Amino acid sequence: MITVQNLQKHFKLNKQYRGAWGSVRTLFSREYEVVKAVDDISFEVARGELVGYLGPNGAGKSTTIKMLTGLLVPSGGELAVNGRLPWRDRQAYVARIGAVFGQRTTLWWDLPVIESLELLQHIYHVPNGRFRQNLADFETMLELKPFLNTPVRSLSLGQRMRADLCAALLHDPDLLFLDEPTIGLDVVAKERIRQFIRHVNRERGTTVLLTTHDLSDVQKLCDRVLIIDRGKLLYDGSLDALQTRFGGRRELVVDLAEPYSDVSVAGATVVARENGRVTYQFTREEIGASELIGRLSQRFRIQDLAVREPDIEATVRRIYEERLLEN
Amino acid sequence: MNHALTIYWRLLGVQLRSQLQYRLAFFFDVVAMSSTIFLEFASLALVFQRFETLGGWTLGEVAFLYGLEELSFGIMDMVFSGFDPSYFGQEIRRGSFDQLLLRPLNLTMQVFGSKFVLRRLGKIGMGLAVFLYAQTLITVTWTPAKLLYLPFVVFGMVCFFGGLFIAGATITFWTVESIEVMNIFTYGGGYLIAHPMHIYQTWLRRLFTYVVPAIFLNYYPALYFLNKPDPFNFPAIAPFVAPLVGILALLASLAFWHFGIRFYQSTGN
Ligand SMILES: Nc1ncnc2c1ncn2[C@@H]1O[C@H](COP(=O)(O)OP(=O)(O)O)[C@@H](O)[C@H]1O
Ligand SMILES: [Mg+2]
Repeated sequence: MITVQNLQKHFKLNKQYRGAWGSVRTLFSREYEVVKAVDDISFEVARGELVGYLGPNGAGKSTTIKMLTGLLVPSGGELAVNGRLPWRDRQAYVARIGAVFGQRTTLWWDLPVIESLELLQHIYHVPNGRFRQNLADFETMLELKPFLNTPVRSLSLGQRMRADLCAALLHDPDLLFLDEPTIGLDVVAKERIRQFIRHVNRERGTTVLLTTHDLSDVQKLCDRVLIIDRGKLLYDGSLDALQTRFGGRRELVVDLAEPYSDVSVAGATVVARENGRVTYQFTREEIGASELIGRLSQRFRIQDLAVREPDIEATVRRIYEERLLEN
Repeated sequence: MNHALTIYWRLLGVQLRSQLQYRLAFFFDVVAMSSTIFLEFASLALVFQRFETLGGWTLGEVAFLYGLEELSFGIMDMVFSGFDPSYFGQEIRRGSFDQLLLRPLNLTMQVFGSKFVLRRLGKIGMGLAVFLYAQTLITVTWTPAKLLYLPFVVFGMVCFFGGLFIAGATITFWTVESIEVMNIFTYGGGYLIAHPMHIYQTWLRRLFTYVVPAIFLNYYPALYFLNKPDPFNFPAIAPFVAPLVGILALLASLAFWHFGIRFYQSTGN
């Protein structure tokens, strides 16, 4: 459904001048630096998938979504959605997709939610019956009722996001793009949004591509994750596979009953030592937890111990920080 | 296009409703808007107390010119509100323009529909009042041809200044800081053509004749309406090119606007 090949977006940032005529100078200046917001990215998304696009701030997520929704023209590479180039014939293309940008609203600021939705019905030529049916569905699932008659400017962030999701789906798009749909929301609101996205994907068969910097979005929603950092695609696959590949380092924290000068042990490395507490790291492939504990208890008197399973969050953080996936 | 037009009317209706929701506030807005123009015109009228004429034109003749310009500029300001560079620049910075790109509708139509400032009626009404006041001071020999041509003059100015708004809005794709520079042309241009243009220094008048042909929008039509001789000996057709000048300015701005959109789609905001 989506084909992206060696996609690039490079921004030229003009040198900024100050002063009264500074803006005019900036306009005609030839000095610039290049920001490679998206740098040679390739992937495909099949119909019906729910794909997470994960990366820290400034990674290039929004820029990718903007190209996929036709807002930005790529500076290199290829990009086709259903065989179409999004920025060509913009109107025909956007009529078939839905998009929500987390920090912005597509609704009219001064209008009650319901009036915005009715305007969108006309803009997208949604037949009356279909509109009412969809609205009824979304109204229950997103609990829109309490604020349908409230002007958009008075909505909370969570309410606004729910209204925007409804607005993006009224015309039954095949494809839904979400840029940071849970940004700034509390845990309960996040969960509600996630449930809805899952529902739309499973029950309506809508293909969803969502960006996030929040790993739990991906963990709870997506079978497949694309990890991006500094414009480069680092990983494309399942989170589980990522965990087995990079997240193998478990930790054993031991409180020793007596001070020892040498606390090293075969099969594990000491990563921290403070008073009587020693932290070892080891991998599943090298040694099992019980064997390691056995070895330690032969040499030292142990007061207490705990095994810490590696968490995916730490894994992803390590991927960014240590650039594990780059070659 | 038809579809876009229907949506435009809907957007307009929605805005009018929300602007009229608070009647009293709206009323005061209109009063405030018309009183600025009233004061501006009153101070101009005071000049005539001392000098009787301005470049040989009486108060009534200048009021004719002034009223016609204010009326037209007000109509433009209302219809082209969405392109007002200071408003549009803000929309660009907030990223709202992206939302327009996401909708399956003609973009220009969407910007027209994005804002419609009804309280400009204050300015329009005041311009009309000054124009009518002029009729009480001087006797204009109206002929059917003159009456027929009058709306075209208004139309020319609306198109021309609308074009300037669109050009100014387009520039905000590149930089929001030059709005001030752009305002010099729109509001400054409006001010200039509200006065008899032969009073200006030669270089300024030439600038607004050959570079920005605003002299043909109001001054030349006024010469025709008031049966005044042309001090610059232009061909006899000069008073009648106003609508053409307006349309050409608007078309040129729209071309620039479409170029700007393409630029925006390659750079974002
Ligand atoms: N319109 C633009 N002009 C210049 N640089 C931009 C523009 N949009 C984004 N960038 C830069 O590109 C990089 C990626 O931005 P973005 O795609 O917004 O990241 P993310 O959404 O992952 O946080 C950042 O360094 C950002 O500053
Ligand atoms: Mg972003």
